[in-house]
Amino acid sequence: MVHPLRDKAAVSGIGETAYTRGTTKSGLALQLEASLKALDDAGIDPRDVDGVIPYFPGGAIAEDFIANLGLKDLTLSAFIPMGGATCVAAIQMAAMAVTTGVCKHVLISVGRTGYSGSRVSTRLQQFPVFAQAAEFELPIGMFAPAQLYAQGARRHMELYGTTARQFAEVAVVTRQHAILNGNVVMNKPLTVEDHHASRMISDPFRLFDCSLESDGGAAVIISATDRAKDLRKPLVTIAGVAEGHPDSPASIAQRPDILEFGLVKSAPRAYAMAGVGPKDIDVAEIYDCFTFTVIRQLEILGFCKAGEGGPFVMDGRIGLGGELPINTHGGLLSQGHVVGLNHVIELTRQLRGEAGRAQVKQAETGLVTGYGDMGDGSIAILRRAA
Amino acid sequence: MSQATAPAAPPAPERPLPTPTRESQPYWDGLREGRFLLQHCSSCGKVRHYPRPVCSHCFSMESEFKEAPLGGSLHAWTVCHHPFNFFFKASAPYIVALVDMDAGVRVNAQLHGIPEAELKIGRRVKLGFEPVNKEVTLPVFVAE
Repeated sequence: MVHPLRDKAAVSGIGETAYTRGTTKSGLALQLEASLKALDDAGIDPRDVDGVIPYFPGGAIAEDFIANLGLKDLTLSAFIPMGGATCVAAIQMAAMAVTTGVCKHVLISVGRTGYSGSRVSTRLQQFPVFAQAAEFELPIGMFAPAQLYAQGARRHMELYGTTARQFAEVAVVTRQHAILNGNVVMNKPLTVEDHHASRMISDPFRLFDCSLESDGGAAVIISATDRAKDLRKPLVTIAGVAEGHPDSPASIAQRPDILEFGLVKSAPRAYAMAGVGPKDIDVAEIYDCFTFTVIRQLEILGFCKAGEGGPFVMDGRIGLGGELPINTHGGLLSQGHVVGLNHVIELTRQLRGEAGRAQVKQAETGLVTGYGDMGDGSIAILRRAA
Repeated sequence: MSQATAPAAPPAPERPLPTPTRESQPYWDGLREGRFLLQHCSSCGKVRHYPRPVCSHCFSMESEFKEAPLGGSLHAWTVCHHPFNFFFKASAPYIVALVDMDAGVRVNAQLHGIPEAELKIGRRVKLGFEPVNKEVTLPVFVAE
């Protein structure tokens, strides 16, 4: 039986601000700026938005959208507190809302002052899921994701022989893609030597294994496919979408397998919903809070076997023209950190044929992942309408 | 004598300390007394960590804390170079070890006295007790 959500909702509009280090704008202003651009991209009157899912905690609440955009009749508002998995999980909620008729157009937005506002250690204390880490791990000097996820990366290296050279490849290729994009924080070439010479943050993660702390906003509009096909831009439908939560969700330390992410559960559901498999994916935007996180997700997504993610990323495979181009916009590692909503925007551009110098030829089907909050995993498979 | 005085030194950063919950208080009380206490289900006997209200195997809400063996083997580790919290700046780099305790749960704690080059999965270590003030003692790993 075909899943009732398959291709019934679409990404109808996308918008983003400049990605910078340093801004005088608030997180709210960044979200609204990106939202207005996304609405213009879709050709939707802002007042017709009736569902809002702002980023939590991102300085904006649904009421701000009513006040600023003059929304006439908001029928759905929600926060999805899943850290880096939030944005793609929000697509699932939005797809359900527009498919059932609860909403016409759902706005998903992120605005972050991750560089000019509060930095990572302070910000995390606002996340409910970090309460256990704050009690048991912060006092021993372990709290930032770079530290919490480093143990899993080290274990992967010990078990499978994954190397820093392979981590570097992800960083270098992602940077090459960022330079093609232009609207990025990191716009100078990066070499393997630069990666290896960068300072150690939390072994095995060096500075260039870590995503950026940056300022910026991003927004997407989700509409029912029947409405979206009459809007301004080429139709890109949501073929499959899912969220997943790992066992021991708030504590990596107590998780039976510390290399198991929520994506282990959500990826098979999204593939089944879309009726596709890894071989059908032309381009992938993989949540890249750390280089290693990309390598492990490629395994979970079925592009290679467990333990083979390191060798998989080598030899040009993940670059433009390779077997599986990934993070064609520069990702969180080089473009900017807007919690992965920039990955959704880039995948939509790729499938519309609007990706400019980073365009993957004949990109028809692609996937985007979200990862966060100690390992929640979300995934969406999008495709260009035939 | 010169009237010039050096500007007051900024206060030393304070160590982040645990805020025990009603569920976890006995665990921290145990560490303060030099005992490694773990929560066990009173109904099915299963051990669980971190402390929480319900046994996810049999859904009993009754539990008791029992003293557990201190040995374990290394599951994973990281060497923290960048101090995300100012307090840890003076002691960085330091090793945080994730250990499979013989008691059947994992504990994350700093590892002292074993050089990074000697770390490998499965290496035996022992949980020790590091008092940081009158109220709080933290776990620490040392060579067995």
